[in-house]
Amino acid sequence: MKIGLEVHVALPTKSKLFCPCSLDDAEPNTNICPICMGFPGSKPMLNEAAVESALSIANALHCRINNSMSFVRKVYFYPDLPKCYQITQMDGAIGSGGYLDIDEKKVMIRRVQVEEDPAQIVREGLLTLLDFNRSGTPLVEIVTEPDIASEEELRAFIANLRSILYYIGVDINKEIKADLNVSCAETRVEVKNVTGIKSLIAALRYEVARQNALVKAGKEIARETRGYNEKKRITESLREKETEDEYGYMYEPDLTVFNISGMRYVPPVYVSKIAEELAKGSDMSPKTIKEMTMLDRNSLELITKLKGKYKMRSIIHAIQRYKKYNEDEPRQDTIEKMISLIDAGKLLAGDAVHAIKAGRSVSIEYARLNGPEIDRVILEFLKANPHVLSEYKKRSKTANLIIDKIAKAHGLHPKEVAERLALILKRHK
Amino acid sequence: MPSYIKEFLKAEKPEGYYEALVESLHKANREYNAFNVIDENVGQSGNAMPFSTKSNICVKGVETTAGSKMLKGYIPPFNATVVERLLDSGRFAFIGETNMDEFGFGTFGVNAALPARNAFDKNYVAGGSSSGAAVATAMLKYHVALAVSTGGSISAPAALNGVVGFTPTYGTVSRYGLIDYANSLDKIGVMARNSDDARIVFDAMRGGDGKDLTCAVGNIGSKKKKKLFVIEELDRYADKTVRANFSGLLDRLSAKYDIETRNIGALDVAVEAYYILAMAEASTNLARYDGYKYGLQLKDLATRYNEFFTEARANFGEEAKRRILLGTFIRSESVKAKYYTKAARIRAIIIKRMGELLKEGFIVSPAFPMQTPKISEVERLTPVQTYATDIFTVPPNLGGFPHITFPYHYQDGMPMGAQIIGEHANDYALIDFVGEWEGEFDYRYKHNIGSL
Repeated sequence: MKIGLEVHVALPTKSKLFCPCSLDDAEPNTNICPICMGFPGSKPMLNEAAVESALSIANALHCRINNSMSFVRKVYFYPDLPKCYQITQMDGAIGSGGYLDIDEKKVMIRRVQVEEDPAQIVREGLLTLLDFNRSGTPLVEIVTEPDIASEEELRAFIANLRSILYYIGVDINKEIKADLNVSCAETRVEVKNVTGIKSLIAALRYEVARQNALVKAGKEIARETRGYNEKKRITESLREKETEDEYGYMYEPDLTVFNISGMRYVPPVYVSKIAEELAKGSDMSPKTIKEMTMLDRNSLELITKLKGKYKMRSIIHAIQRYKKYNEDEPRQDTIEKMISLIDAGKLLAGDAVHAIKAGRSVSIEYARLNGPEIDRVILEFLKANPHVLSEYKKRSKTANLIIDKIAKAHGLHPKEVAERLALILKRHK
Repeated sequence: MPSYIKEFLKAEKPEGYYEALVESLHKANREYNAFNVIDENVGQSGNAMPFSTKSNICVKGVETTAGSKMLKGYIPPFNATVVERLLDSGRFAFIGETNMDEFGFGTFGVNAALPARNAFDKNYVAGGSSSGAAVATAMLKYHVALAVSTGGSISAPAALNGVVGFTPTYGTVSRYGLIDYANSLDKIGVMARNSDDARIVFDAMRGGDGKDLTCAVGNIGSKKKKKLFVIEELDRYADKTVRANFSGLLDRLSAKYDIETRNIGALDVAVEAYYILAMAEASTNLARYDGYKYGLQLKDLATRYNEFFTEARANFGEEAKRRILLGTFIRSESVKAKYYTKAARIRAIIIKRMGELLKEGFIVSPAFPMQTPKISEVERLTPVQTYATDIFTVPPNLGGFPHITFPYHYQDGMPMGAQIIGEHANDYALIDFVGEWEGEFDYRYKHNIGSL
């Protein structure tokens, strides 16, 4: 199985790619001008912030970056495309021939190209409405080689790409958008406009099953473009795939050859590699550190600073505790206080975390009871609340509630309560 | 020869001058079709020289159609940079938009709803595609025209109407607001009754513009040359009368210049390379005209998009359709290398070889290879025969080199024009050349509308 992706990423600029129109949310067709409407006589300008952002992506994906780049016109006729050609990039793209590491494998990146988004089509009943506010939004398309060989690799690719983009400042808070190319046999089938990792996986599974069934039945797989139907969770035939012939690509003469040497870009952060380093000689796995920091710069910075000074496990627990009870990002001194309490064998609940954050002193000691004593407390509780047992028989998660209540009532360590409770419940089942 | 602009701005104008001007212009226009739009408010700018724009240069609030039915009713919400600059200078007043071949596709001005007619004899063609601009310049005494050249659309009509036609170096004048034909070739220039006026207008409109990334040539030189080159491989393309008259011109010029014959070795395929590149670009530029956004509006919006689109695009003229079809074919992946890429290579060779030669001297040639034809005669020409008449004007256009046309002889009452080509950014030297020529030559005009 060969999977290739064309991932579309909106760049975080204030204005559009070829004109000064704002990208803020607004009433339909209010952020428009002759350029993004493709009026006769208008010419594109070039938003350098978008170019810098794209350059950061190309660099982070280890692409070959030339001194200059150029654009092409991709001609096709659709009502959402004001000029009836899209300004995009091909051979003169900002980056080409790169790769992205996913665990043990490199997925080759064919091209990173800058392009404009068309207008938005809104269907209302029988009406087709067009909102040109979106027209000219700067996008980067990341085109991979068909190097992805499984669902797991697809997930890993998207996760790693997201992380790289996050650290460059291209935060995809929206779902990732991609075209998915799948070939189980010889023929490549393109699934257009899939939004979100869940849909990507569902579309992939559906395509693999569909193509394998065709192969098994001795039928031919049509070379075509399909769409993903989110409600039915299936892919549907859209049209016979155009060949590249029909786009009639041509050099965009209005944008000339644009010099990008010496332009600024944001240096990349590869969390996988950093996590490996951080985990070396520590009591935590690289995987845990990676998962925690992939989309969290603050945590990565704290871990990097505190490494060596404290046990990695304590650092991670402190940060996790803090984040569980707070929306904001922790300060280093707060985390350090929390670590020292954790290392002293204290478990920090919400109240305690807030107290540390506010600079108040905290002292929570757990009651020291032995096993039989804890058993007695539990049995008393169960006797007083007979309904919990019957509930537990229906929903085993009820156990957590019991643990919580008993631990709080007697100042016990929840972990100890859990262990004893498990033994008691076994007998009651 | 004194500048008409300076003379006009200094002169006392009689009461109602502009109203009378508009009235006589309307009258003449009914015969010559030089203007698509005449602005009745030309007098409201105070003491200012009338200027016209070719109909593919956007003027805010004025219907700008590029001579096409597809843009009927298109009223741009903005001024082209050149229009903005002329108006801002306070010295110029907009008098109207001039007739042209649809989207600039033509050499004779006949690819228009009503072809403009030659100012010297209305049975003859005006030349194209800036047909109306040339006729207007030859009719109005105090007026300058903004015209546009892609492959010779300033030189040809200027020569056929006996006016000065100046096409600047590509990239010196902003194209913002110019309705595109072929973006890598389109240049806005000037037609005027003498070289001084061409210089004044050029200075008023040139210079970098953030709205056109290709407009980046800043410093313009005036390096005088002692040598004039005649291109050997182009010589045979001119007809007998043109050759005889042109050799008379060379005799006159040889008093001041060394005249040498040179061979560039690629110019006899320049026309082919030009049309391939121009059509490829044009076919993408014309893609946007789909009948619902601006200009022509189809009434029934409830049809399927493909049918709607097909119906709208039937409104292109014959030549526009031809260029869309050929341009689309040229761009297709299977033949691109054979045509488009090869043409681009020829263009690069021409730029290099001509550029080297132009360092040594100017290139001089007739502006047009034949005597002015009658309108009835050109209707019989095939497209390829028509394209071939661009033989002298295509090379400088393909290379983005500045060039200027000036009248040098009157044959059977019709003007004949010659063309001088210079190196990139040496535009003033060409204007100086014509200024020198004007000292020894009397320009003739049949009309002098607006005389004081």
